[in-house]
Amino acid sequence: MIEVKSLTKVFKKPIRGKGVLGMIRTLFSRKYKEIRAVDDVSFDIKEGEIVGYIGSNGAGKSTTIKMMCGILTPTSGQVLIDGKEPYKKRRIVAKEIGVVFGQKTQLWWDIPLIESFKVLKEIYQVSDEDYKTRMEFLSTVLGIDEFLSQPVRTLSLGQRMRADLAASMLHNPKILFLDEPTIGMDVLVKEKIRLAIHALNAKYHTTVVLTTHDMADIEDLCSRIIMIEKGKIIYDGPLKAIKHRFGNIKTLTITVPANIDPLEVAPYSKDVDMSSKDDKVMLRFDADKVKLEDVVQYAFSSYHAIDMKITDISIEDVVKQILVQQEEAKHA
Amino acid sequence: MRYIKLYFTCIKRSILSRLDYKHDAIISILSFLFSNACSLCALYFILQAIPTLKGYSIAEVGFFYGFSMLPIAIDHLFSDEFWLVAYRRVQLGDMDMHFLRPVPVIFQMFAQTFQPDGFGEVIVGIAMIIVCGINLHVTVSFGAIFVLVIGAVFGAIIITSFKIIFSALAFIFKRSGPLLQIIYNFTSYAKYPIAIYPKVIRIILIFVLPFGLFVSLPVDTLLYGTYNPYLLSLCIIGAAIVLFALAVLIWTRCERHYESTGS
Repeated sequence: MIEVKSLTKVFKKPIRGKGVLGMIRTLFSRKYKEIRAVDDVSFDIKEGEIVGYIGSNGAGKSTTIKMMCGILTPTSGQVLIDGKEPYKKRRIVAKEIGVVFGQKTQLWWDIPLIESFKVLKEIYQVSDEDYKTRMEFLSTVLGIDEFLSQPVRTLSLGQRMRADLAASMLHNPKILFLDEPTIGMDVLVKEKIRLAIHALNAKYHTTVVLTTHDMADIEDLCSRIIMIEKGKIIYDGPLKAIKHRFGNIKTLTITVPANIDPLEVAPYSKDVDMSSKDDKVMLRFDADKVKLEDVVQYAFSSYHAIDMKITDISIEDVVKQILVQQEEAKHA
Repeated sequence: MRYIKLYFTCIKRSILSRLDYKHDAIISILSFLFSNACSLCALYFILQAIPTLKGYSIAEVGFFYGFSMLPIAIDHLFSDEFWLVAYRRVQLGDMDMHFLRPVPVIFQMFAQTFQPDGFGEVIVGIAMIIVCGINLHVTVSFGAIFVLVIGAVFGAIIITSFKIIFSALAFIFKRSGPLLQIIYNFTSYAKYPIAIYPKVIRIILIFVLPFGLFVSLPVDTLLYGTYNPYLLSLCIIGAAIVLFALAVLIWTRCERHYESTGS
């Protein structure tokens, strides 16, 4: 369904000087810095898969998605959507894909939502019959009928995202690209959006590629993840394998009173990684090896903690860990 | 056929958007009336001070001025979106939604906004032509009317073509608004008979930025019978078709350079 072959995108940025004088100098210089936003990336995605495309900020996720949608032309390499290159056959591929960018709406800002849908129906040449059945399905799954008559600019972020999702599905695309579909949303809305993506995938067998920063999104939705860092793929495989690789990592962040110097407290054991910043102490550990209960107890008895917070491993942590492991493997 | 239907669907949407901001619509109508009243007053006072402009009377200058408003107004009706492309939309990476639709981007630009302000300019322009025409006791012939209509319609296409070309450069330079503004400002030269300009500017206004071709020459033909109206019409139509084809070609070339913003 999607084939990506040694895809590369290089952005040329002029090297800028500092301050006004430097800026003026840049105008006349021809020095460019090459930024390889996406560097020799290859993968295949099969029909009906839900794939998480993840990485830290600026890793090259959005750039890849944009090339797959046909907005950006690659510097070298190739993307094939159903056998066609999207940036060359833009209009043909556009009929087969649906795209949602979490940060930008694809809808018209100041007309009622339902009017936007009517325009899209015309643009994608959806028949009356299909339009009716799909609208019914999308309304139930995404609950958009409550704000169909409101202009898009008056919608809340969660409502707008649901509206965008519905709009991208109106022409029943074979592939759905979702760039951070849950960004900035509360837990309940996130839940609703995830359920909707599951429902769409189940009903229409739609292939979904999504980027996210939310570990819970990935766990809930993706059977496979592709991880990218500095433009290169560092992991491509099932989510289970990667979880197994890093175990059940949790971080306990505690606030210590002023009279305690964190560095003088005896460490719990080598299984708990301690770091501190100001009055905060971070304890990282694998919850499958060390009991959470014990670490909490230790935090209160040794540090006299006055506040605490438990967080699961973040995508940034996973990326860091993979990089560390790769580095170690190289040296070994 | 499909595109005509789609155009009207999109235009309906554009008008709905406009109506959503009632105050904005009222302000834009008022500001249009005010700015046109100002420029007419200025023209009137200048002509009062200088009773003839290289031998042109106030009614003649008024006729040129009124007629020049028609192609500008028609262009204004249909292609206002290109200003936003040149000044803002490419720079903000705001064009993504158009690149994701299975319809040519340039078509979507035309379908994105319909600017009813243009109707006001058409009405003011026609009113000026009639008032000044009666004052000048113009003898109306079919050929002269024909060349005026061709001048207005195909003149609009010529203006639009320049707008397309210079806003397409935004895909490469990120922002081409000021450049487009400079080119567009040349249309104000077309408001006066080109006979008043030095030869260099006259040549530019006919062969390079042919805004004189579709304003001054047709009016000359109507008022003084300077040129053959049908031959002139043919020239205007030819220039419009060539320029428009060139504009679409340049646009589709430049559009490939579109880079969205980082996030």
